[in-house]
Amino acid sequence: MTNYIGKAVRRVEDKRFITGKGRYTDDITLPGMAHAYIVRSPYAHARIISIDTSAAEAMEGVVKVYTGKDIAESGINGIPTGWQVNFKNGDTMKEPPHPLLVADKARYMGDAVAVVIAENREIARDAADMVEVEYEELPAVAGPKKATKDGAPLVHDDAPNNLCFDWELGNPKAEVDEALDRSHHITTLEFTNQRVVPNAIEPRSAIGHYESASDKYTLYTTSQNPHLTRLLMCAFVLGIPEHKVRVVAPDVGGGFGSKIFHYAEEALMIWCSQRLNRPVKWTADRSEAFMTDAHGRDHVTKAEMGFDKDGKITGLRVKTYANLGAYLSTFAPCVPTWLHGTLLQGLYTTPKINVDVTGVFTHTTPVDAYRGAGRPEATYLLERLMDTAALEMKMDPAELRMKNFIPPFDGVEQPGYQTQVALQYDSGNYHGVLERALEMAGYDDFRKEQEKARKDGKLLGVGFSTYIEACGIAPSAVVGALGARAGLYEVGQVRVQPTGTVSVYTGSHSHGQGHETTFAQVVADRLGIPMENVEIIHGDSEAVAFGMGTYGSRSLAVGGSAIMKSLDKIIEKGAKIAAHTLEASEEDLEFAEGKWTVKGTDKSVGFGDVALTAYVPHNYPEGLEPGMDFSSFYDPANFTYPFGAHIAIVEVDKDTGKVSLKRFIAVDDVGNVINPMIVDGQIHGGLAQGIGQALFEGAIYDENAQLTNGSYMDYTMPRADDLPSFELDRQVTPCPHNPLGVKGAGEAGTIGSTPAVVNAVMDALSPFGIKNLEMPLTPERVWRAMNS
Amino acid sequence: MHLKGTHKFHASANDLWSKLMDTGTLARITPGVSKLEEIGKDQYKAIAEVKMGPVSGSFSGNLNVQDKQEPRSFVLNIKQNSKIGNVAADVKIELQPVSDNETELSFDGKANLSGLLARTGQRVMSGVANTLSKQFFRALEEELANPGS
Repeated sequence: MTNYIGKAVRRVEDKRFITGKGRYTDDITLPGMAHAYIVRSPYAHARIISIDTSAAEAMEGVVKVYTGKDIAESGINGIPTGWQVNFKNGDTMKEPPHPLLVADKARYMGDAVAVVIAENREIARDAADMVEVEYEELPAVAGPKKATKDGAPLVHDDAPNNLCFDWELGNPKAEVDEALDRSHHITTLEFTNQRVVPNAIEPRSAIGHYESASDKYTLYTTSQNPHLTRLLMCAFVLGIPEHKVRVVAPDVGGGFGSKIFHYAEEALMIWCSQRLNRPVKWTADRSEAFMTDAHGRDHVTKAEMGFDKDGKITGLRVKTYANLGAYLSTFAPCVPTWLHGTLLQGLYTTPKINVDVTGVFTHTTPVDAYRGAGRPEATYLLERLMDTAALEMKMDPAELRMKNFIPPFDGVEQPGYQTQVALQYDSGNYHGVLERALEMAGYDDFRKEQEKARKDGKLLGVGFSTYIEACGIAPSAVVGALGARAGLYEVGQVRVQPTGTVSVYTGSHSHGQGHETTFAQVVADRLGIPMENVEIIHGDSEAVAFGMGTYGSRSLAVGGSAIMKSLDKIIEKGAKIAAHTLEASEEDLEFAEGKWTVKGTDKSVGFGDVALTAYVPHNYPEGLEPGMDFSSFYDPANFTYPFGAHIAIVEVDKDTGKVSLKRFIAVDDVGNVINPMIVDGQIHGGLAQGIGQALFEGAIYDENAQLTNGSYMDYTMPRADDLPSFELDRQVTPCPHNPLGVKGAGEAGTIGSTPAVVNAVMDALSPFGIKNLEMPLTPERVWRAMNS
Repeated sequence: MHLKGTHKFHASANDLWSKLMDTGTLARITPGVSKLEEIGKDQYKAIAEVKMGPVSGSFSGNLNVQDKQEPRSFVLNIKQNSKIGNVAADVKIELQPVSDNETELSFDGKANLSGLLARTGQRVMSGVANTLSKQFFRALEEELANPGS
């Protein structure tokens, strides 16, 4: 029965969201709640000489001011990182302490120095202005390559040259060097994949609530990952037993990765609440969000790709300096390494690959996973190389790709594809997506139109991007071997209520993805019951057994699969009850459309009746436990590998340098699709963010490591009128190793779109002999390039 | 932030110089300055209310006059702190006589901003600084024409 799967069912959560009835962390007000405001360093690097809190504490309505000294004296730990990447020589990476409030030195603009707690937020904010901090400003460094130079200011004294780790993957460098030396042509690009600010619409917020009567703690927080936040906060920071702590991530207004991580403010609110014996809330303002939400990207890269005379790739050599910021955020070391280096096979049969990544501390906001996380950087690098190589070798960029694609394989009849960079792709048909995209774009006609436009003085360009991503994160044993300090399975519990309605508890968290709809579609179809009879519960550690959260396009592939496992157990048990009721043997039953039927007869019993029997077991199979409630952990066998082909068509204004995106074609293969409307929505949002990086966005630090564009007056976000109506299509190559055959769609748009747009602009500018420009391609940058 | 500009005054370089070195005059005509106090030789303490584009704040800090080459040039060293961030600047001011009663003042320097000042509206701030300097020059011109008014 497939009543729901594959249908564009409207999102059940939208009713509360679009009527303003969502319940976000900042909406929560607890009796006796106090409010916190954090005093932050205006300097990127400064020694704290003294802090005078007396004026602030004397203000009416101020409850307490805590400084880094109080934190240090309380003996708690700093914020941990969840991933370990070592130096090539085997030395452990540098993992400097990240205290909740700093006592000695501020290491980035926005580093937390003190917290003011008051009766309301306004008083807390005013009092924060009265905290007198005397700083000695020190030299600072913002750029990752610059930070490794001898004599650069050190972020942490015990990390010489600001090195956190150096790391390599792939074939031995000597082999790659040799392959490149023997190449007919080498394309080289040097560029910065610039730092972007995540900009979730809801700023981060946290409420700590300690109840002395029960000695229990509740943390309400804007998290994509409440269970992991609880684990990290309890076990690593505060040393509180986990069973005494409940973490609730209610409605969350977007995250894009930035709310995966355990932030200092979360532990700080719990710590303050315990000391003051009352709830304490902190909510970031937008300016704070710009400064303190973990940023994304920031790689300085040199990439070289070799080709033989027919255009076949012979080798790839990559050197990247990855900016990690001032402290290690939860996933920071993993992003530029295992989520970046492992994707450098792309869709191509490149025989030799070596990638070398240096992780660097700088006096900047910590950098961590942002939509795509490492995979956009890998795709940008590969796809810029491909279009540039095509231009240099006077070949067609689409043809060059076709020539180098891995041939189609389904992962069932044909085995998975073993890359040179650790991963084994599950299934793919890469020619298929590009062919479809070319057809939609009317590529042959476009080249004629472009030629004519050039004669008329108009600058049209087309750019390609054919991407692959590793999603459905991740097989625990594999990532454990790679340095993950946690398993990456998911938990799904299905509780059938006595009347046959169903409560589903998932460790996956929804903050815009539409789990409450998609997951309900899956459950309703599998059980043959109406969707209205299914409730999806997530984001509360007290309700949900455990969970690994939402990121890396993993929710449906891993979280959905965990639910599927529990559904199988429900149906298996139901069959035993149905067989007893129908006085038939289990083997003679089939389950379809919500009932068990004795094959070849009209004797059947419905799901609701079986559920009631399970809870009122008067006439019941001997030895069978009552109830219908199953929980499952699903640990995936492999990553999933969505892929696709994106084509951008742009026009560059010759007089102003402004880039207009005329068309954007995206053909994505995300495996099976449960709700096409939600997948389209994910692709749309992803495209907007990827295009945003190509044309508009980018955090700019000055030579004193001051963030100079930390507001919406200064930082450009893509707007509706910057974007064309996207032209989307899909190909379906099911994932062979999870029960739903799904691959994940959350990051596809962001990963694929950025290089397509930049390639299109470079194509438009090719008459000027311009081959490479740094992102974002602002009118000023393009105009200057055309006029120099 | 780069600070640069010129202004022509109807005054001799000596007259202009003496006005620029007069604390009382400067306190009166500098936009936003509510207090200017001499705390040592060529050292001043200043308190100013400045609204610069999107951010406004109360600044306090020191001004030092350095490298005095009377009546031709000096360097103004500015350190101002506020709750919205800090400003540190070195600005070289030069007086170039054009004729007996005409002098061109030029200034050239760099201001380092930190905190909220750095990350909010920095693009519009050079415009604001420009406006403030024009206001100052206009007031100085009037002062030269009608001293003490």
